[in-house]
Amino acid sequence: MTVAAGTGRHRVLDLTDHLDSTGFTRPDATDAGALNIWGNTFAAGDLPAGHPRWLVDGVPFRTAEAGGPDHLRCRGQYLEVPIGRYDWLHLLATAERRTEDPVMLHFADGAVDPEWLRVSDLWPGGQAHFGEAPALRGSRLHYPRHVQANMRPTLWAQRVAVPRRTPLVGLRLPENPALHVFAVTCERPPESPEASCA
Amino acid sequence: MRVTLDGYEPWWFELGNCLHSSVAAVLRARGVAPLPALGAHWGFRYRPGDARREEYYLPLPRCRSLVGALLPYHPVRSTWHEPGDEQQAWEQVREQIRDGGAAVVAVDNFHLPFRPAYHDVHSNHLVVVHGFDDRTNQALVLDAVPPVFHDWLDLKHLDAARGSTNVGAHRRDMFFADVPVGRRWFDVAVDGPVRDDPARDVPEALRRNVAGFAADDPFGEQVGIAGLSAFLTDSADRHEAGVAGVVDELFTVAGPHLASTALHAAHLRRAGRAREEPRWRELARHVDRVAHHWSALRITAAAARGEPRQAPLLRRRARALVSDLTIAVEECADVADRAQ
Repeated sequence: MTVAAGTGRHRVLDLTDHLDSTGFTRPDATDAGALNIWGNTFAAGDLPAGHPRWLVDGVPFRTAEAGGPDHLRCRGQYLEVPIGRYDWLHLLATAERRTEDPVMLHFADGAVDPEWLRVSDLWPGGQAHFGEAPALRGSRLHYPRHVQANMRPTLWAQRVAVPRRTPLVGLRLPENPALHVFAVTCERPPESPEASCA
Repeated sequence: MRVTLDGYEPWWFELGNCLHSSVAAVLRARGVAPLPALGAHWGFRYRPGDARREEYYLPLPRCRSLVGALLPYHPVRSTWHEPGDEQQAWEQVREQIRDGGAAVVAVDNFHLPFRPAYHDVHSNHLVVVHGFDDRTNQALVLDAVPPVFHDWLDLKHLDAARGSTNVGAHRRDMFFADVPVGRRWFDVAVDGPVRDDPARDVPEALRRNVAGFAADDPFGEQVGIAGLSAFLTDSADRHEAGVAGVVDELFTVAGPHLASTALHAAHLRRAGRAREEPRWRELARHVDRVAHHWSALRITAAAARGEPRQAPLLRRRARALVSDLTIAVEECADVADRAQ
């Protein structure tokens, strides 16, 4: 069950029940997570001030507390969202090599539309191939047995359009384990009745 | 004696590997733009069981060198050298540099202090050596794979990396360990002028690629769309049946095909932008979609290690890849036809 919190135009999804992987680790336990087959992770020390609350380009996100599972790998999970009209789904995500797949958007009237989720590479040197904003440029990369200071991984802030002007009830993530999702926030239209009542 | 060859600079493509960056460095030093060369060919080829445990693995057609297979539309080839011992290994590289050419040297990352895998993971990798200093016993090494190293390296490290038995010791010594490096190195020969004329080169390459995707191979290799489909179907079936090593093979084979697909897309995008050809840029996007399928399939394979129940997902990912690749190849044919 996915619950949500937030005020104004944004609804921050609680992904707690879906978290299955650890992407941020402490320097004394760098083998406690894995963002790829080599066991690399972000440094917990790179988490921004205010964590687990994030603000990226004006969009609020909430990630898990550090020290345990903090994200999900996309394996076809269904995420409920608070029923409502939305323009955008914002995600904090990264990928093992850049990749893309449709997300299935489920609407209250039974309609389902595929929309693209596109995420650039975690790996140092990776560009914002899909035009995302970098949410975090790590200062170093954790390996299971050491910390590499000159490798800077990236967590991306990406968004998925919600073109249909009817209430959204949920989304089905793709079956693509290369995609790692840390947070999801839904953004309402600027002048919808729901937004003005929030 | 101290010799340094000029013109060698890091070139890195995010979905490529050490083979692409090494060859690109050599091409650039000879005045050849890397992307039009590396991005011209797009295809599929595999001989079942061929996957070698090297980061620079590339399926080789008969009678093609490693670099000749990478750049089949260009007059470029490579020759492997397999020295007998440590002294001969360095003498050969030194002679190559003295004669004016860089040496592309196979190494085990485990022994290279600048690699993140140093004293951690064994992996068969390539670096470019383009200088030496007899007084300091150092080699000038270029490795454009992040974190990027371009500096002098003590020969003791290079010798250890070249002579490594590359034997894996733990569970992260996966795909590119357990085959001795053997102190191998190769030179790259450019046998003629390399044309860079997108108006002629792009349609010509598209036509050749389309023909390649439609071809079959009389000698039993899996080639083209039909070969790709057979390879992926067979991989999923064997993995489901519990055959060991299938997803490792799939991961290794997917690597160069992911790279060549993304390089082809980048080449079309660049050429389409330079020549203001919107259809070329749209075609680049179709091809990029296939690259992103390769990313997904490759990681799905890695995540399926020891899990035969993941075979249905491998099949679904494979069908989606082949379907979108077929569409992209049809678009390639259409763009090539319009260019005539």
